[in-house]
Amino acid sequence: MERREALKNIFSLSIAAAVAPLPSFANLSLVEGGVLKQNAQLFQKALLTNPNLQGFVGLKHNISEQVLKVEGAIPADFKGSFYRNGPAIHQRQGQRYTHLFEGDGMVQQFSFTEQGVTHRAKFINTAKFEKEQQAGKFLFSGPDSKLKNSRSVTGPDSINTANTNVLPVNGELWALWEAGSATAIDPKTLNTKGVIDLGKNTHYGSSLKGLAFSAHPKVDPDGTIWNFGSTVTGDIVLYHLNKLGATQKVNILKTNYRGGMLHDFLVTHKHLLIILPSIIKDKTKDTFFGAISFDEQVPLRVLVVDKATLTLKREYNLDPGFAFHFGNAWEDQQGNIRFDASLYPNLDNLHYMSEVMKGKVSHPEQAKTTFFTLYKNGRTTKETIPGVSEFPRIYNHLTGLKNNTLVTLSSVESDVWSDAVRVINTHTGKQDRFTYGKEYLVEEHVVVDSSQKEGSGYLVGTALHVPSKRTCVNIFKANRVSDGPVCRAWLPDAIPLGFHGNFMPT
Amino acid sequence: MNLLQLSTITLALVIVPATAQTVQFDIQSIKHNDGKLYIQLFKGEHDYNSGKPYNATIVKAKEGTISVTFNDIEAGDYAIRYFHDENDNGSMDTNLFGLPVEGYGFSNNAIVRFGPPSYEEMAFTVAQQPVKTYSTINY
Repeated sequence: MERREALKNIFSLSIAAAVAPLPSFANLSLVEGGVLKQNAQLFQKALLTNPNLQGFVGLKHNISEQVLKVEGAIPADFKGSFYRNGPAIHQRQGQRYTHLFEGDGMVQQFSFTEQGVTHRAKFINTAKFEKEQQAGKFLFSGPDSKLKNSRSVTGPDSINTANTNVLPVNGELWALWEAGSATAIDPKTLNTKGVIDLGKNTHYGSSLKGLAFSAHPKVDPDGTIWNFGSTVTGDIVLYHLNKLGATQKVNILKTNYRGGMLHDFLVTHKHLLIILPSIIKDKTKDTFFGAISFDEQVPLRVLVVDKATLTLKREYNLDPGFAFHFGNAWEDQQGNIRFDASLYPNLDNLHYMSEVMKGKVSHPEQAKTTFFTLYKNGRTTKETIPGVSEFPRIYNHLTGLKNNTLVTLSSVESDVWSDAVRVINTHTGKQDRFTYGKEYLVEEHVVVDSSQKEGSGYLVGTALHVPSKRTCVNIFKANRVSDGPVCRAWLPDAIPLGFHGNFMPT
Repeated sequence: MNLLQLSTITLALVIVPATAQTVQFDIQSIKHNDGKLYIQLFKGEHDYNSGKPYNATIVKAKEGTISVTFNDIEAGDYAIRYFHDENDNGSMDTNLFGLPVEGYGFSNNAIVRFGPPSYEEMAFTVAQQPVKTYSTINY
């Protein structure tokens, strides 16, 4: 009898303690999968009259290696592979996801050699993708899209789509989502190697398994990798990895953040900047993205975290705002911190990406590049650069250090997606811009430079040409962007619009 | 009797009512033979929420399916929850956010949707006939 009681007590401590606090994306009520069917019908109808929507159609199969038609000349010193990631399955069996962020990730590889440009693409074989591909239908409810008979979603990795970014780490590619584990990919075959357990072979053991690992790690000039992961509870996990991707230190930061979603962050040479936007997640709603709204009463909070200890050092409260992405941060000898954000006045753009999934093109307010200075005495200033701004990038060797150059996409003629790329001088505000025009849906452009000198090297990025239904990859001289691409290579078809990527030189 | 060497174990209640029945619970898709399965039977929602099991058992893990039988269960509504203690440390390991990192599941094969199922979803009734219920383990 004593043993039985002891046994019961062990159970109570274990399951009750472990299962009860399962973090949830939402308190779910079951929603008929009919919403997803309706979404598919609305999108199909809208696609007939709006060719811009082709970027959101998606693909069904991998793309084998294909040689691309090249215009212009590939620069002699431009050799390597440009990898991009993005959601590429939005619909199965007449059911269409309700948010752009929910689709399964696909890695695109553009390889540049003396022989020319080749392309191939492969879906990331996540546990979710593998099961749904085999079944030929969606099996799991997503953050926003709810299936009536969803299979168990025991944690974020159950529905990890690995669809947001791809980062070279120690000879592998890490396909990144933001709510769960990173997924290792072979850069040569694009085959999926498996989910990365950051605690493996460390004293953290299984305690890091399945933790959120954001899609925007920051890599110091010496290769040290920093990242964060957030959860709806407001707890944020902070990671310090070495250049081989091995975990060095992990800490949990209690923030009381109630926004639910946190996409990007920054580093200086001494600190991490966890920047919490002015958003609130309504826990009573049964969606994730759909439950988040802008709150003008909530300041944009900047948490300054010591890199050495991964603990909070100080906090700044700024005017309310929202940003998906930041370019860079650095601090001067006095300890004043400067950083930039593609800053939105509200959250309409997040919900735009839900509207577009049903074929509805709305006109949300756009982001602008905004430079913030956080003075050591607590004073803060901000300065906004004219023009629409998204997908900011910098020269990699200046991550966390003073940068004079910021690359962003912009929108000049189009109100659907970005249609231009520009280089901003961060001191003068002067812009060097190339406008593809409203016939193009332009994606992130990244800096490719081996000289470690701002102004040298190239930009590379993709764009979907709407009238011809083809995607092209473009190379610009970084210091002459407005001259247009020096080289452009065309795919025979359009590929789905994606999010982020990186260049791996050979 | 060595509990840990058994793949099936039965724990009888001290007081056995005349109308008692058996409850057979099958756990499917167990990944490997390491560790043990800790299984709890609850009578009623109140006791489930209070974490007070009516009965409980431990069985050695076995790849595939394990069948556990609770004997002499009086009439009423019940629910079962369990976990696979893969590293045999006597507790259900979680990550830093509190998410289980070892397998677990519930009676009625109740589905986990970003959090544990409700009591109603895992509950079953014991009356005049023996009861069979099952769960596919979630890792």
